[in-house]
Amino acid sequence: MEAKYDFVKRYRDQILKCSKCGFCQAVCPVFGLTLRPALNARGKMLILKEVMDGQIALDDTLIETLFQCTTCANCLKNCPSDVNVPEIIRQVRKDMVGIGSCHPAFRGMQQVLQSHSNIYAEDEPEDFGRERNKKARSVYFIGCVGSHREAESTLATLRLLDRLKVDYTLIDEVCCSGVLEDVGFQTNERLARKNIELVLATGSETIITGCPYCFRTFTQNQQYAAFKENGIDVLHISQFLKRFDIEVKTDRRVTYHDPCDLGRHCGIYQEPRDTIQKIASNFVEMPRNRENALCCGAGGGVRGAFAKNSIAMARRRIQEAVDTGAEVLLTECNSCVHNLTNARLRKQHIGIYTTTAFINLLMDAG
Amino acid sequence: MEIEGYNMPEDLYYEGNHFWVRDEGDVLVMGMDDFARKLAGEIVYVQLPEEGKMIETGKKFAKMESGKWLGKVFGPVSGELVEVNEALEENPGLINEDCYGKGWMYKIKPRDKSELEKLIHTAEDIQKWLLADIEKYAKEK
Repeated sequence: MEAKYDFVKRYRDQILKCSKCGFCQAVCPVFGLTLRPALNARGKMLILKEVMDGQIALDDTLIETLFQCTTCANCLKNCPSDVNVPEIIRQVRKDMVGIGSCHPAFRGMQQVLQSHSNIYAEDEPEDFGRERNKKARSVYFIGCVGSHREAESTLATLRLLDRLKVDYTLIDEVCCSGVLEDVGFQTNERLARKNIELVLATGSETIITGCPYCFRTFTQNQQYAAFKENGIDVLHISQFLKRFDIEVKTDRRVTYHDPCDLGRHCGIYQEPRDTIQKIASNFVEMPRNRENALCCGAGGGVRGAFAKNSIAMARRRIQEAVDTGAEVLLTECNSCVHNLTNARLRKQHIGIYTTTAFINLLMDAG
Repeated sequence: MEIEGYNMPEDLYYEGNHFWVRDEGDVLVMGMDDFARKLAGEIVYVQLPEEGKMIETGKKFAKMESGKWLGKVFGPVSGELVEVNEALEENPGLINEDCYGKGWMYKIKPRDKSELEKLIHTAEDIQKWLLADIEKYAKEK
């Protein structure tokens, strides 16, 4: 009998491979906060088996369970059976949308991107005081969070690029729309084409982005295959920055949070550390770092759909940073900066920055 | 005073971006009004600047967020931020529960209290202003 849902066709064997060991519970940010088994990978696999066996329906009653996952992939990293939970969740969400069942925030996101250029439906682009769409060696692609939620951080990054005399241009960018793949939909072809056209028109050889999610989308989504086909390199800013000798130093105690989209999803762990350790002699790792880093709670659309829990997850991560004695928490993702900053309590005297923003701060002070 | 389902106390002063101000003598208390909190949805974050921060009329001094919206908080008058509602740090939803009471946001020591007169104040003016904004936001939807 033909499987009813694509997740069954593609991932039945993986779902059955789940041995219910619960190793994923130890590392799941949503379970760590809520202690609800259904919100953890193990619970989700149990539920999906019930759906596969026709015992329960895939419907609105499962929205909270199946849409409340940051897709941080910590479960996959720790799964002895290699069950690719993030991919399964992505497909399940697409199946649910296919039958008309979707979290309203995610449906809203998809609708917004049909008529706006960014996920926040902001009509006015932030003015960073720099020319856009000019000929340059590199395009700096900001991303929606950097443009509309962490503009100060983005401005600091641009100031640093100016200081380093990087030949770059901004473009009239639109949302990479990669997030739609995580929340039940597809990358928006119209937006992808627009970004590709704008980049090609600059004649640039390289796209540099501060957003790990945009980086992932540009390098992994087939809608952006044109970049590779046209010989355009896509770099995360941490990969670009490590080429430079950064002269400023700090003796403040610094720690680093690995963004899930940069770390577990793209394997970039060392480059940010190479730059940070050049400037910060007093660098300390959190106990959960690199592939074991605890997710900040913002990813997979969770910050949009389950904002309270998202911030509560970030609060747990900040505490881990504070517990190291660090005065500064660096990360390479504006979405992480945003969520962690929202979560920081007044009594927690820890500065939260992207590495580039922090370097710019040191240069300003120097 | 209720206007089309929105509770807008007429003894308060209102800044045009839908923040109310209550005169408590030496200090002005500020918060978000019923119209704005309903439009914003569940508030998940309120920025609480350090006490002592100088506030300027019409200039942004803080921000707040709901799941879908980022709002800027502008100074209704010039003065000094003397107190913030720390309960909002872990429970920003107090604004949704009780925007005129437990959900107050900031206390400002004004430089010149006469600036209050520039805010929207009488029942008639409040009604006129709110009805216009109800229509404006309905069109934008």
